[in-house]
Amino acid sequence: MDLKGKITLVTGASRGIGAEIAKAFGEEGAFVIVNYLQNEAKAATVVDHIENQGGESTAMQADVTDEQSVQDMVAKIVDSFGAIDVIVNNALPSYTFNPKKRKAAWDMKWEDYQKQIEGSIGGAFNVCKAVMPYMKEQNGGRMINLLTNLIDLPLVPYHDYTTAKAGLLGYSRNLAVDLGPFGITVNCVAPGLTYPTDSSLETKEDVREEIARLTPMGKVASPEDITGSVLFFASDWASFITGQCIHVDGGLVMK
Amino acid sequence: MRNEQQEIEAYFIPDTIQLTSFTTRELESKQGKLILKYPVLSGEDIQCITETIKANQKNYLDKLQTTEVIDLVDAAVQKWLDPDYHWRQLAETWLPVITGYDAEMIRLELKRFLRTFRKKELLRFLVEEFDDPAVLDDFRPRKKGGLSKAYGPDLILHFFSGNVPGLPVWNLVMGLLVKSGQLGKTSSSEPLLPVLFAKSLEEVDPELAKTLAVLPWKGGEDQLEHPAIQAAEAVVAYGSSESVENIRKGVPAHKRFLSYGHKISFAMVGKEALTLDLCRESVHSLAEDVSVYDQQGCVSPQIIYVEQGGSVSPREFAQLLANEMDHYNRKKPRGPLLESEALAIQSFRSQHEFQIESSVYGHPDDTSWTVVYHPEPDFEPSPLNRTVHVFSCTHLEQVYPKLSSYRQYLQTAGVAVGPDRLFKLSEDLGKAGVSRVCAVGKMAQAPSGWHHDGQFNLLNLIRWTDIETSAEQHAEQYDEDSE
Repeated sequence: MDLKGKITLVTGASRGIGAEIAKAFGEEGAFVIVNYLQNEAKAATVVDHIENQGGESTAMQADVTDEQSVQDMVAKIVDSFGAIDVIVNNALPSYTFNPKKRKAAWDMKWEDYQKQIEGSIGGAFNVCKAVMPYMKEQNGGRMINLLTNLIDLPLVPYHDYTTAKAGLLGYSRNLAVDLGPFGITVNCVAPGLTYPTDSSLETKEDVREEIARLTPMGKVASPEDITGSVLFFASDWASFITGQCIHVDGGLVMK
Repeated sequence: MRNEQQEIEAYFIPDTIQLTSFTTRELESKQGKLILKYPVLSGEDIQCITETIKANQKNYLDKLQTTEVIDLVDAAVQKWLDPDYHWRQLAETWLPVITGYDAEMIRLELKRFLRTFRKKELLRFLVEEFDDPAVLDDFRPRKKGGLSKAYGPDLILHFFSGNVPGLPVWNLVMGLLVKSGQLGKTSSSEPLLPVLFAKSLEEVDPELAKTLAVLPWKGGEDQLEHPAIQAAEAVVAYGSSESVENIRKGVPAHKRFLSYGHKISFAMVGKEALTLDLCRESVHSLAEDVSVYDQQGCVSPQIIYVEQGGSVSPREFAQLLANEMDHYNRKKPRGPLLESEALAIQSFRSQHEFQIESSVYGHPDDTSWTVVYHPEPDFEPSPLNRTVHVFSCTHLEQVYPKLSSYRQYLQTAGVAVGPDRLFKLSEDLGKAGVSRVCAVGKMAQAPSGWHHDGQFNLLNLIRWTDIETSAEQHAEQYDEDSE
């Protein structure tokens, strides 16, 4: 796989799945922009890790839900590095995945949904919108959006979170149609429960065991398990794939 | 045919004439080897050939009815429409090697082109220019009295073009329709197809084929061209402005001279065609118009004017076009270039990369396609070989002043505009010098019977003889049986 020199932006990359994706791109020779919201120190650790492995990377702060801040970041990337080849929309609004404390349907407020929609779709929207003119001008680009397998199998119904991610799937497919003629692909990766990450810390042993038992491959995902599919969508191997979603959950969802 | 050595004559002459001296040119490909046999010609050869052709024209072709000629041409064309026809297979195998054009592109375009010479198209072609095509056979009454007959030249000398394979077939067919003997000089870039077509005519009717010769020689060889021009009643010349001008100098004023020199074509896309649902079709069509025969045909656009105000901006149109050009190139790769041609594209690219206002989209690794976007309209020819300008304009009408200094060169305008604008636009384009307005996507496929470069085709070749009413009436008094 040759991602050498590909200017790659990973949002929410200071920790969890995002950090692993950033590192994986770094290992493949991409130039990685590690976007973060608050955790400057952790973002720096990711950058250090990539550089220690011989890769190239830099950290950039931006709130993906803030249109201007995203536009400034993307303009800065293109200004400094001359292009933007790959974006990975991984950032998500803070959310606690606790099966015991989750809200039931009858306790949900419209604001809960709004917050997730704002964060998940809104964040991806801002990034995609900001890079579009550049990718069109380059006659190509890769957009990869992180979803969840809960869309297809809501083992634990996190209503607001999963609904927003389902919306992001719809957004991605529509985007793929309009951007395909410009040589830009839009694809999604839908991980199953991924442990350990900050978000999944409160998903306790019993639930993890139960999911592992239902999973053909017999375990829940670790952050490193997610990276391959993202790299694939960014690679030349996936040059003619767009509007697709790969489930990375050990076979829990099959479709 | 595969992996074999094959020899074929790169000339065609009436079979009663023997040539004695030859050279060869060898072509190799993975299909094997082809040896093209070229005659070494003298002025006497030309004289002998033209005399023979003229005699055969007089004794045979001139006596055929036009409908019979049409049937014979149709029979030859029908052979070519069979994919298994041996000459078609030979052409499909070797034209890509000779011309450098993509094999699949040749296969498709040749077939499309030859389809325009079937009987029904030939009939339409005649009616296009003659109210009563029977004037080519006999004196026919005129509405206001008298009778007229049209005579084709006894011998037409063609200087064939070499940029688009098959085009000489069009010239040969025109000559046949006016029942002329014909000598065609092939271009070194495509010496094969006219010869093969003559062979097909020979298969259909050996006598008819004796009124034809197709010969290769290096343009400008006076000792051959002089006797050829002397013998011909009409000269039809294709080529660069310079070579056409050189030929013209050698043609005496009393001889008919038709020329088809350098032309430039362009396209116009109105904002009504730039909706999200319709735009892609225009982009796709234009990528094909630009790419076909590597833009060597004069009908291929070098410039596209795109109007602002649609859902897709002119810049986005250029970006979309770039991607479509790439798709076409993957399907049908451009042929290899001379170093000078590749350099021309590279300097064209860098010249525009330096201009801050324009954007260059091109294949990242080579020169196989290039789109240059400009925010203001202008008129600038491209270096061809799949390079095209996209000019943004606030209104298409803004473009006309830019065309004025190129008036003599303008040919086809491919348009994507609404019905309410088509007439006005065509009127203005006509004034500007454009001779053909067609849909985008059809630029490279001129229909039979078009006014090539704004002229008649057959009418320009023939001369008329009128029997005036007075002669008719006067003759009556000498009727011995008159009362």
